[in-house]
Amino acid sequence: MANFRRFRPDDLNKLSKCNLDPFTETYDLGFYLQYYAKWPSLFQVAEDQHGNIIGYIMGKLESSPDVYQFSEHYLPWHAHITAVTVAPEARRLGIGKLLTEQLEVAADAGDAWFVDLFVRVSNHKAINFYKSMGYSVFRVVKDYYGEHATDPSLSSEDAYDMRKPMKRDVKKEHVRDDGEKHEVDPSDVW
Amino acid sequence: MSSYRYGRPALKNSVDVQLQTAFSDGNWNTVIRLATKRAATLKDPYYEAIKMAAEAQLENTAEKCAVFGAIEELVKDKKSPDIDTIELYEWACRDFFDAEVEYADSLGPLRARWAKANPSSPLALQCLRSCLEKWDLVSAQQIATSLDKAYANTSDRRYMFWNITLTFLLSISPQCTDASRKVYSLLAVRQLERAADLTENSAKLEVTDRGLLAEEEVCLYYRVLRSHGTKEEFISRLKSPKLGAINQLKQNRKVLFWEALEALETWGEWDLINNLCREALSLGLEGEKPSFFVCDLQIWKKFALAASKVEDSESALNEVQAVLKKYIDIKDQASAMYKKNISLALLETTFRLPTGSAGDETGGLSPRVAQIGRFLDQYFERLSAFEDVKSYVAELSFDEVKSLLDEVIPKVVDEGGDKAKKIVLRTLEYRLRYLLSTCPQTLSPQLPVEGGQPQEQPSQCRICTKAASIPCLTCLKKLVVEAAATYNQITGDKELLEAIPRLDKDPRLDLALVLGMSLLKLSGLTPGTSDTNYSLWESVDLGVFLQAVLVLDAQLQKTPEDIQLRLLLVQLYLLLGCASYAYQLWTPLEVKRTIQDALSPLFFDRISDISPGLFQGPRPLMEPLRSYYKHNLGERSPVRIWDAFSAGSYTSIFDMTNYDHDLRRSSTLMMTLVEERRAIRCYGGKIDSEIDQHPLTGNINGGTVLVNKTDYGSFANLESAHGPPVQEYLRLGPGLSNERSHLAYLSEQFLDLLLYKPPKEHKLAKQQVEAARHDREYTLETLERLSNSLADILHQPDTPSRLTRSETSYYTVLSHLAAGLLVALSTPRSDPIPKSLSHLTASIKTTFTTLRSSLAPISTTEETPTTNPPAIPTLTSMPALSYLRLSSLAIRSAATFLTASHDRELARNRTGRSGVHRDALAEMRGLDANVAVKGLAEVKGTVLRLKEALGEGGWLDRVLDLVFGGEEEEEMKEEGGGGGGEVRRAVEEVVGGRGGAEEWAGKVVESWREGVMGWGMVRME
Repeated sequence: MANFRRFRPDDLNKLSKCNLDPFTETYDLGFYLQYYAKWPSLFQVAEDQHGNIIGYIMGKLESSPDVYQFSEHYLPWHAHITAVTVAPEARRLGIGKLLTEQLEVAADAGDAWFVDLFVRVSNHKAINFYKSMGYSVFRVVKDYYGEHATDPSLSSEDAYDMRKPMKRDVKKEHVRDDGEKHEVDPSDVW
Repeated sequence: MSSYRYGRPALKNSVDVQLQTAFSDGNWNTVIRLATKRAATLKDPYYEAIKMAAEAQLENTAEKCAVFGAIEELVKDKKSPDIDTIELYEWACRDFFDAEVEYADSLGPLRARWAKANPSSPLALQCLRSCLEKWDLVSAQQIATSLDKAYANTSDRRYMFWNITLTFLLSISPQCTDASRKVYSLLAVRQLERAADLTENSAKLEVTDRGLLAEEEVCLYYRVLRSHGTKEEFISRLKSPKLGAINQLKQNRKVLFWEALEALETWGEWDLINNLCREALSLGLEGEKPSFFVCDLQIWKKFALAASKVEDSESALNEVQAVLKKYIDIKDQASAMYKKNISLALLETTFRLPTGSAGDETGGLSPRVAQIGRFLDQYFERLSAFEDVKSYVAELSFDEVKSLLDEVIPKVVDEGGDKAKKIVLRTLEYRLRYLLSTCPQTLSPQLPVEGGQPQEQPSQCRICTKAASIPCLTCLKKLVVEAAATYNQITGDKELLEAIPRLDKDPRLDLALVLGMSLLKLSGLTPGTSDTNYSLWESVDLGVFLQAVLVLDAQLQKTPEDIQLRLLLVQLYLLLGCASYAYQLWTPLEVKRTIQDALSPLFFDRISDISPGLFQGPRPLMEPLRSYYKHNLGERSPVRIWDAFSAGSYTSIFDMTNYDHDLRRSSTLMMTLVEERRAIRCYGGKIDSEIDQHPLTGNINGGTVLVNKTDYGSFANLESAHGPPVQEYLRLGPGLSNERSHLAYLSEQFLDLLLYKPPKEHKLAKQQVEAARHDREYTLETLERLSNSLADILHQPDTPSRLTRSETSYYTVLSHLAAGLLVALSTPRSDPIPKSLSHLTASIKTTFTTLRSSLAPISTTEETPTTNPPAIPTLTSMPALSYLRLSSLAIRSAATFLTASHDRELARNRTGRSGVHRDALAEMRGLDANVAVKGLAEVKGTVLRLKEALGEGGWLDRVLDLVFGGEEEEEMKEEGGGGGGEVRRAVEEVVGGRGGAEEWAGKVVESWREGVMGWGMVRME
């Protein structure tokens, strides 16, 4: 039922199965096209037999700007998962995992040290999903989100910055076992 | 709309602080004074440039324009200009591009000239970027060529590929002259051929070599080759050892493989597709660990399809099966998605085998049915199970259908495990039964006379043996009753209710969809084409229609997050004329930003015809759509195009350019402009600009193909491919199209002409004569163009199927009016008026009769003392009312326009010799008085009567009576009578009886009232 391929701008006219789902954000055209323009191999889609998009992943390859080179929070050349979504009808088939794996292949091809992403600390399902794929918590970004996903009495929520080392990081220098103990401010996150 | 992206430019460092400060503060008068002084003292033309740039910021038009003259001088001067001066001028002209200043004739060539003289300067790159952002491809290509020469054989390979990419883009652009097109095409192909040869012939390529290295470079080559090369060249390279599709695939590069398959399919090269797919799929089987990288369903489908089309298809299909068998053997190592793809591939292959070639399976099942059974056995619980097997089931013969329904599915149900799973399976069975009701193999022809009785239906349903056509109503009724029983079984079973959260989907949702769609078909709903009667009342049993809406609405209250259901209901409420309630359901879908172009037509198409009152809400209804286009089409270049150049994403450049091209020609864009303008006129608001002067229509002319990209992907489509898709049943008429969009555009241009009020100017007599002559020429030219264009489109063979009957009438009236005005204004008073004018007015009258006949009459309750609310036919046909109003107003405007032309001529030339022909005036005024005035009175009267009718009491009961039957029918039901009793009772049980439907009926009636209230405020002048 699915094909995996690189995103094409025309796919924006076939996003309804993913983007009408209330848990998927719809961005400005420039946002999608920026990713497609700069990192086309890190923007992958899954489509159904009618050409409808039933899942996609958007990522980028970058490092922190040079001015932060001597900061302890400097990020070397790495891939970042910006968004990953799967349409409700296509869940439980491992599409999210396959898309993430494809992004990792592109990250290796782009010589990235690691792939990282942010996730709400309350999103246990996603955290477990990424852990099962070899990601681990690198640090906790305090009050990263402006509201709490599950507790309306709270005005913010922390994020886990999770990482998976890529082939380039042979010595696993860019991951750590006790990431949950390393807290940073949102301003430290580039 | 254009804006300079880089802010105010920095002046040269040599400029003194005082002038720098005045410039950065925007103190323009001081800048002018100081720059004039410095220019005189230092004799440096840069200060003249500063002065003119500052003058361009002032209000005075003459001063503003000085900079244009300066640019022109620089262009004429063949010397290389100063880059700081160019920067200044470009900034100064930022608001004048596309109007007073054509970038490609002014600043673009200046930048190209400067870059050619200074190719190694980093500013040359800035010049390229500026030209690209203004989409001046001629200058951009020249700059790219200069850069390529300057940076040849350096490690930054982009310069070479920018040059090639821009040469190719220019060769396919309207900016390229026909004389140069071939040269640029050849240049792009040859450069890439050389690069490809270098790659193929080099043992190892260095980054400084001018060969093809990166995936994007290789794909660029194939794109250009496909466009400008020959098929043979393309195919030959596709097989080559290094740049061939398979070798690229081995490097995890899949883009070329997909594009190659697409190209080969276009050329019908099935042998090659077959070979390519086999090689690609065999790749996954090589090595220690299998890879499922190419196990996409599409690749399997193409493999099987190609095998069925090659000469020796039998052995080719055997080969497909052999490869597939190998994958089946290692299936356990695949992820769930690929496992499912392999199962579907098996299904696909079985269906591509010649019928009967594989013989019967054990138990007498055909291989196709047995394969569907096996697939369902594994995947029936999945949400997509129905979509996965739908097209295969629709291909089955009737005997196969029978064995699927009578043997296979019951067997799967028996083995299906717990109660909840059995329910899921039964729900799937109902969906398949609905699907089969749309398939022709379930019918067989029957003799016109049987048992001495003539038969009404030409066919017999092979399932229930009753006389039927598609769909078989007897089968649908049975389906409704059984699906409702299952629905109620779930609702009444605690164990089942508790199991629902563990399932992929609440089965009641699918049951409600089966019930809703079956009831819609039972109501007589047909696809909304131009043949459809506008009043649902005429062609549709409104009671049954409302039953469908009620069942679906009741389900939405239970599962408000379901998108399919919500979208379906939005369409149904629009059909019913309940636009405000449809809007309430539409809003939570949050159709915003990028998805608006594809999804907005699902709500906004024809919205001003259904319910103009919606535009009177606190927020401008279509503002987000308008903003979307304004924001993304404000520049001439595609959004983020420089990012793609900068990153060396060459295929992205082409795809983004194509996307931008289509977005600028979007039917949704035209819908947005036209719907808003019609709504503004409804309430006497001011329209900002003429539609052909609107910044968003700059790319649209008579020859432009307007593109419809409406996304129906989220609709629950239970229909088979043998008939129209579900959306055809749910729309008020045909969907957006090039033809309808052009007619709407032309109609607005026509109204712009008629409603234009010239400013009062005090001119000398001679000037007045000249201005009048110009006006007259413009008017006649415009009328001729509009009349011809409208008539051309209306006469195209496909046009009638793209419009509703009322729309055809409206555009026909406008076409005749434009032609009539042209005759009236171009016939001298001394000549006899051509007969064509009276023919045109006669045609308008005839068309008007058609328009009026589309209106359903409203009888009062005294006249029809039945339980059926007499206003409903009109409430559901408001677009017909809207087009009667629009047509009447167009006639009124045309008559006023002609009279005003005559009066202006009289005022200018009191002899009356140059005025409009007396007979023409009389003809148009007659049309106004006898047709338009009456038409408007009818519209006004209809709205008033609707208001009165809806003001009467008892509406809730009337609607509920329609759904559940009134007292009389209740009595019949008790006595065991009533034709639709069984279906009605089934609906009643699902929605919790009459009491459970009261709130819903209230919403429907309230929405009708709101709609009519909005109509009450619409101007009829």
